Amino acid sequence: MDALLAAAGPLPSKSKQSSRKPPVSSHQTVPRGNGKAPIDPSTHSILPSTRLPSSFHASTLPSGSGTAPIRPDASIARIGDKKLRAKISRLDVGNKRARQEREDVNEWLNKAVSGGNGGIEVDEEEGERTWRVRQKDIVQEVGVGARGKKFDLKMQDMGTYKVDYTRNGRHLAIASSKGHIATFDWQAGKLHSEIQLKESIRDIKFLHSEAFYAVAQKKYVFIYDQDGVELHKLKQHIDPTHMEFLPYHYLLTTVGHAGYLKYHDTSTGVMLTQIPTHLGSPHSMAQNPHSAIIHLGHSNGTMTLWSPNMTTPHVKLLAHRGPVNGIAVDPSETSAGRYVATSGMDGTVKIWDGRMWGKEVRGWKVRNQITTLGYSGMGMLSVGGKSGVTIYRDLQKDTHHTPTPYLTLPMPSLTTSSTRFCPFDDILCVGHERGISSLLVPGAGEANFDSAEADVFETYSRRREREVRGVLEKIRPELITLDTDFLGHVNEGRGGETFEEREARSFRQLGRLERLRATGKADEPGQGGPEDGDEDQVVGDDVNAGEGVGKKEKEKRKMKGRNGSTKRYLRKKAKKNIVDNSLLAMQAKVAAQRKAEDTRRKVQSGEIVKETGALARFG
Amino acid sequence: MSAQKIKVISRSLDDHLPSSSSAQHPLQRNLAPHLHPFSKPREYTRAVTAAKMDRMFAKPFVDALGGHQDGVYCLGKDPRRAAIVAGGGGDGEVIVHSLALRRPLLKIPNAHKGMVGGVCWTSEARDGKRGMITAGKLDGTVKIWRSEAFAPGLRDKDTFEGNEFGSGEGSTSFLDTAGAIGESGMEFDEEEGGGLSIDAAKRDALGQNLEPTMTYTSKNGFNSIDHHRTDAVFATASNTVQVWDENRSAPLSTLAFGSSMETVTGIRFNQSETSVLASVGNDRTMCLYDIRTGKAERRIVMQFKSNCLSWCPTLPTVLLLGSEDHNLYTFDIRKLESPSQIYKGHVGGVMGCDWSPTGEGFVSGSYDRTVRLWNRESGKSRDVYHTKRMQRVFDVTYTPTADFVLSASDDGNVRIWKSDASKKLGPVSTKERQAIEYRQKLVERYSKEKGVREVHERRHVPGSIHNAVKLKRDMIESRKVKEDRRRTHSRAGKEKPKAERKKAVIREQK
Repeated sequence: MDALLAAAGPLPSKSKQSSRKPPVSSHQTVPRGNGKAPIDPSTHSILPSTRLPSSFHASTLPSGSGTAPIRPDASIARIGDKKLRAKISRLDVGNKRARQEREDVNEWLNKAVSGGNGGIEVDEEEGERTWRVRQKDIVQEVGVGARGKKFDLKMQDMGTYKVDYTRNGRHLAIASSKGHIATFDWQAGKLHSEIQLKESIRDIKFLHSEAFYAVAQKKYVFIYDQDGVELHKLKQHIDPTHMEFLPYHYLLTTVGHAGYLKYHDTSTGVMLTQIPTHLGSPHSMAQNPHSAIIHLGHSNGTMTLWSPNMTTPHVKLLAHRGPVNGIAVDPSETSAGRYVATSGMDGTVKIWDGRMWGKEVRGWKVRNQITTLGYSGMGMLSVGGKSGVTIYRDLQKDTHHTPTPYLTLPMPSLTTSSTRFCPFDDILCVGHERGISSLLVPGAGEANFDSAEADVFETYSRRREREVRGVLEKIRPELITLDTDFLGHVNEGRGGETFEEREARSFRQLGRLERLRATGKADEPGQGGPEDGDEDQVVGDDVNAGEGVGKKEKEKRKMKGRNGSTKRYLRKKAKKNIVDNSLLAMQAKVAAQRKAEDTRRKVQSGEIVKETGALARFG
Repeated sequence: MSAQKIKVISRSLDDHLPSSSSAQHPLQRNLAPHLHPFSKPREYTRAVTAAKMDRMFAKPFVDALGGHQDGVYCLGKDPRRAAIVAGGGGDGEVIVHSLALRRPLLKIPNAHKGMVGGVCWTSEARDGKRGMITAGKLDGTVKIWRSEAFAPGLRDKDTFEGNEFGSGEGSTSFLDTAGAIGESGMEFDEEEGGGLSIDAAKRDALGQNLEPTMTYTSKNGFNSIDHHRTDAVFATASNTVQVWDENRSAPLSTLAFGSSMETVTGIRFNQSETSVLASVGNDRTMCLYDIRTGKAERRIVMQFKSNCLSWCPTLPTVLLLGSEDHNLYTFDIRKLESPSQIYKGHVGGVMGCDWSPTGEGFVSGSYDRTVRLWNRESGKSRDVYHTKRMQRVFDVTYTPTADFVLSASDDGNVRIWKSDASKKLGPVSTKERQAIEYRQKLVERYSKEKGVREVHERRHVPGSIHNAVKLKRDMIESRKVKEDRRRTHSRAGKEKPKAERKKAVIREQK
């Protein structure tokens, strides 16, 4: 070993290394003299592209999840314009790459810790059922931290309770029908405010944060702050029964006994619009958190869908044979506001698909009288009624049978007046005549929250930041539509013109889409092939396809041909009654021609022997 | 209940609190779309705000450089330095402006008798003196002026050759490529009457007494002049195209297409294929020459006369023409039968045009008293500049740093405009830059949406131009409709519609 080291000689000194000239680059460097570093002109040149080469994208690397390189959609190749094609294909690849990267992030970042989602697992083959599991069993099974989340607040002779959570699920507001209000941080057990209003209260709702809440009182809606100080009396909202708050639009929506749906902008304090529903006092109200459409359930069994932009409902459907007393919209990942559950006094629960209102997806009868519905973040449905709450899950599967409950939460001799799942937690809060109960429902909540959207552990400074951003990004109420995907689509036609005007326009004056249509080059949404590979797109296409069917007018059979009954009748009539000289002459002429032709043919075939003698001319 | 497994959400506060008092609040992200409702409307709202902010900060006018007794009809930017531009006046006066100091460096009151036809700069500096070449439109002379006042950044005894960064070895300094004339201008010799502490009287005296180092004469006046990128060769446009060596008083060669005797009004050297030359003439022509062969290579005749031309600095085959018919055209010189793009927007003849050094866009000045900025890719202008006092614009140019554009107008001013109206001048922090880039992307993404488009594309123009635009639109529209109707009532296939691009060129000659 020593011999080897000796043979290798001493290490080269550092100074010698540094004295070596720097490696010559392929670029010409230009000395600037006087102690200034030389300059490489190529670094001053203009780079045509600063994008990462596609070979470096994570999704194309062998370690990345995507194995196939991302290619633009095949249908893009049909675009004739070179520049446009390149632009759209670049956009498409960018979108696909972003989606893939997002999925990668979600896969690795938000994976359930020990596999599978939360919930109760039992051995079904041994006859065990999840709905047999009692609250006390759950409390025994779960950890100490979760055990504290099951609690009851017992309030005697205070009337029935309504409950509401903030969007991050951190704070809880309760309001009794006899005037008792309290808001608190239920996890820390910190009371924010508690008031006894001594008048009847019908609903309570948090506004954009826990700092403000609105209360539907006997006569008007009032807004209180965190400390229970009355801030505003909204005099326009008379006799309110239900309230909803649209957090991204800053709209407080109320409906009262008179049946007026009112939208009030809480950021400016201006009443946006009030719409008469003409259907009397509604029995229930819910918002679609993905489209900000308000759902109202009425006493005649109809459910109506509203936005502030239309004075008539977007959708009006007969949901039940009896008043609709519960509506809930599924916010979970698979549904994203597409499935709606309704319950009626007729004792049935129905699930509706927002893409096709014609028939319910499933419906079943419930023995108890139903009073309230609620959806959790993972798509569990709570059906609250007399003597307890029943919870269902996986309602979109196996729709032909009556669903088996996932969990039953019996409350003997109590009627639930409101149920609400706590966002991002496995909690169901039930309000009833004897206070509220916070119950554990394993697997109900979305475990992975996004702190940019709704932060469960929100601090004061972050809340301030969010409030400012929220107001800056307040969505204009005109953007509330049933079809949430309409933004960025092509506006067809140049409306407001009559058919004649449209027809009189020359090709030059047509809009772009009309021109394309005239030349047969329009790429209509219906024409799209099934080549869309990604999931979102497919779902979106389904939505569009459903609407396309609805929009498409049935082709009218125009009786332009000869077979219309009227035409036939007229034709016959014309033949009989009208004497037209020219027609007669024509008929005579045709008859003569036919006769001549006939004779000629007969002569040719030898049927008639033509006389050829001198007398033939008289013949 | 024996074999059951129950899992509920249980979060520890410790995982979600900042690790120290100064640390960031820990973020948990879930990018699943169902947790981000209304992402599109929210983004759209941000885009509207971004478009509004962009318009709020749009203050393009920087300064007006005065000093001319008559209108300024030509501009000559020094391609080697960011902040020097010379303006040629209608009375034969040439003023060299410093953009950084925003004042004249040198005034040559009687450079020419009558109007100045063109100004350009030599490709080198001799004895520390930068050379400026001016051409007289009426007196038929070309003069080379050399003075240290032109190049305050250049020290004495430095040789300066072709390369922008100085020659490889031996040179001890190079010209102020960044345009920071103020800093090195401090060292400039006071006796010559320049530098920062400029003495107006001394400067005027210097200008009065300055004699051209070289004078070239011809029978005809020169309409335009351009210098070769590296060699000591320049080309002039009179009733012929002449190529001159700086050291010889007679032209090296005279170029003409066939036996044509047209008046050539503009001439430009290609920046990459440096021996290729293009000219525009009064016979509605554009002609390409090669000075190595000394021949006119090809020529096109267009519907209207072109007033100005410019070669794209990054795409060597792309040539821009500003035409009398209010439009600009880019040609790929490999395919001259039709322009590759028509740029419509002006309502007066285009008098001057110049490419951005990046080749991504260009600027044009028009007889309608406006300056327009364009992207190469799109036929609509991205911005339009005007002021109440700016008269007919006769020449425009981009500065070599692409930050500013200059316009020379009838009213005797050279105006400095920002090339991006809402761009912040001065240092921008990383965070701010990211925010700006995000806003730009948002606006780009939603630029077709009505709410954004209305804000983003709306430009206020003077009433006269607004009316002219309307009138022109109506005229063209009615003409087109008439054509269309005529076609519908004539025999099928007899009158075929002709693409707008095909109409521009009448004939290509080889």
